[in-house]
Amino acid sequence: MHFALPPRKTSFPPPYARVNAINSADQRRKQVQYLGYLVFGVLTIYLLFSTFFSDSIPEQNASVDEDASVLIVTVLDEATMSEEYISMIKANRDDYAARHGYKTFYTNTSTYAHLTDPSPSSWSLIPALRHALTKHSTIDYIWSLSPHAIITNPSLSLYSHIFSRLPSLMLKDIPVVPPDSVIHTFSHLKPSQVYLILTQDADNVAPTSFILRNTGAISVAAGRPKDNWSHYFLDAWFDPLYRAYAFQKAENHALEHIIQWHPTILAKLAIVEQRVLNSYTYHSDIAPDEQYFTGISREHDSMWQQGDLIVNLKGCSEAKDRDCLKEMKQRYGKWKASVIILDSGAADSKDNAA
Amino acid sequence: MSLSRTPSPKPNGGWASRGLTDDGLDAAAPSAYSMDDPIANDAQWSAARGKSQTTRGYPTIQTKNEGFFKRTRRQVSQVLPTFNTFSPKDKNWRDQEKLGRGRWYPRGGTGQISTVRTYLGNVLRKFKFVFLVLGVVALLTTVMSRANIRARYRGNSRLGGGSKFVIILAANEDGGVTDWKGPKEWAIERDSVKNKRLYAARWGYNLEIADMSTKKRYAHEWRESWEKVDIIRNCMAKYPEAEWFWWLDLNTFIMEPSISLQNHIFNHLSDNVYRDINYYNPLNITHPPNSVFLDPASRSPTSDNLTSSIDLVLAQDCSGFTLGSFFVRRSAFADQLLDIWWDPVLYEQKHMEWEHKEQDALEHIYTSQPYIRTHVAFIEQRKINSYPSAACGKQGPLGEVILDTKVHYNEQDRDFLVNMAGCKWGRDCWGEMYLFRELSNRLNRNLWHRLADWTKERFNGAKESVSGKKDEETIAEEAGVKQ
Repeated sequence: MHFALPPRKTSFPPPYARVNAINSADQRRKQVQYLGYLVFGVLTIYLLFSTFFSDSIPEQNASVDEDASVLIVTVLDEATMSEEYISMIKANRDDYAARHGYKTFYTNTSTYAHLTDPSPSSWSLIPALRHALTKHSTIDYIWSLSPHAIITNPSLSLYSHIFSRLPSLMLKDIPVVPPDSVIHTFSHLKPSQVYLILTQDADNVAPTSFILRNTGAISVAAGRPKDNWSHYFLDAWFDPLYRAYAFQKAENHALEHIIQWHPTILAKLAIVEQRVLNSYTYHSDIAPDEQYFTGISREHDSMWQQGDLIVNLKGCSEAKDRDCLKEMKQRYGKWKASVIILDSGAADSKDNAA
Repeated sequence: MSLSRTPSPKPNGGWASRGLTDDGLDAAAPSAYSMDDPIANDAQWSAARGKSQTTRGYPTIQTKNEGFFKRTRRQVSQVLPTFNTFSPKDKNWRDQEKLGRGRWYPRGGTGQISTVRTYLGNVLRKFKFVFLVLGVVALLTTVMSRANIRARYRGNSRLGGGSKFVIILAANEDGGVTDWKGPKEWAIERDSVKNKRLYAARWGYNLEIADMSTKKRYAHEWRESWEKVDIIRNCMAKYPEAEWFWWLDLNTFIMEPSISLQNHIFNHLSDNVYRDINYYNPLNITHPPNSVFLDPASRSPTSDNLTSSIDLVLAQDCSGFTLGSFFVRRSAFADQLLDIWWDPVLYEQKHMEWEHKEQDALEHIYTSQPYIRTHVAFIEQRKINSYPSAACGKQGPLGEVILDTKVHYNEQDRDFLVNMAGCKWGRDCWGEMYLFRELSNRLNRNLWHRLADWTKERFNGAKESVSGKKDEETIAEEAGVKQ
């Protein structure tokens, strides 16, 4: 068929034509608009994030790993301790370390005599810890344990016993030095910020068994400049003017002094119940006159009980009527028996599993 | 004779003019047309007739550029023709004078004002582009100076980085308690504060003026002059974005305010400081500590060699550490140092010996605590703390002052800061401050002043040399006379 004029274009264009041809300008405008929304949205979110989150430093590696490495440091005194005594202590710690994958470090008071003289030899604990940190610089924790203490519950790992329970173990807002120091432990301290775990006995802070965190490893892992709080702490503690001051209880009182006067140390300190880390062989009776003056009736739980981590034969070397070796032998025998039970139990469970 | 009608041609084609001239010929009145000789007249006539017969039609007046196309042919091909030649476009065009109506002037009327206005209008119109650019530049300059954009740029922590610095100026020392604060003291304070304020504003730094007045809370437990520690700590809390805190005593003067701290020290911190105190060790401190039990960084003379571990930048003068001008960086170390710096047990034992209080205490903890050393860096004294010749001066055999190149201010080297250390003890603080202020102004005067001074010097020099010659001559003459 032929028409004089070509047929008119349809008034209903196909949909594909509409997209490209009819609304193209409108469409393009819309597209630009959406792009604008997107850009502004991204910018807004970025700004919000940068204002709210730029200042907060992420806590990296601050929490405690289950497989945190621990170094058990014991400063021996070969001048006063017999071979037998020393071998018992070493066997006890070595066994515990092997059980949990820890390391041990034994050193001798005489090694540090040139540093501590003329102050009492008990000061040698501090250079010994510094020494341990140098020798084992990658370790996470140092457990400083008195040579008069023996580990009585080898099955407890420090992680399960202390690190994992630290939030509930930390004693908040108590006098740092018993009985009534005006300086109290921090009440808002985060467990991840704790670098020093200490106990108090009835009269003093007890540095016979404490845990020190090696923060050099943390700061390097977090990409910060290497800064080791424990170096700071130990150097401050070991200041020659403290040693010259003749504190009645030497390094023990010096420690009490620095934790009370220096907030940068107090801020890293957690105090736990004595029996968590430092059980004694005796009850701590509160002197009645002290109660009378302070008006505080205090119960202090220091006596070792079955299941406690360690027992500290505190005072055995000073008291005339006590014999450290004898007491240690008795405790050592008990420990030996518990180890045998533990090993056989482990063997049994292994057999059962097999 | 007059004609009532125009002469008509005759039927034979000749002109009737001859008859006309015959009729009215007046011999006594000769004219151009009067012909005394008829033959000669006749010949002229026929020649004219012959000529007129060669032309067709009527004779016309011949002008140049006759006819439209002749006139416009050239322009037609180039531009549109203009028909009105009597226009201002014409080269020879002159305004038609309209008598009695005066000349036309733009903006109406004559007089000085309108002339000036016309002139200004013309200038504005002709140079409008230049004026536009100038206007934009002026506007931008004004806006920038009003909004203090330079200081803001330099202050921005991302751009100039100035807000990362806090200058802590110890003002109002003793607060007029132990000493009467006289006009000189006020003048010193005013000049010193102004100097720091201008410097801080110039580079976008924060300035904190610390009130060091003797406070009751420091009066017990031998704690006077220990406010330093508390003030730095407060500043760290007050300026949470700042990184470096620069402590300055009141008796200091920034001699070269055109140098920023970043340029002067902190952009190349590791090049400007030294970690090993043996480089300059007036206190003879054993370094590094000789204990094998310490960590490698403590045992190394240069600590860990990392710039990031530098948290305290100190200078040493002739007698040891000097705390008139020092830098401390916000860090864990800074917290610890500021915390351990003052200790009652240490200070109880030493407060009689430690004449310089916190300075001696710092020397003590630096010496006895190896950890402290690992974060301290020393800077050459004259970089941040030059002394005037009166401080730390050694006297020669003739009583003259021997200047120490490590310690004393040198004008040629343009030292950055001068500290009138110890001027309280028998020296004139205000006099020294004034001299250094004037010196700083002179050294940093602008080009124009420099030129003016140079000219003046040349002029004076010439005058002196002339007068000097004269003097010599007179002396010579006198000598001659004597001889």
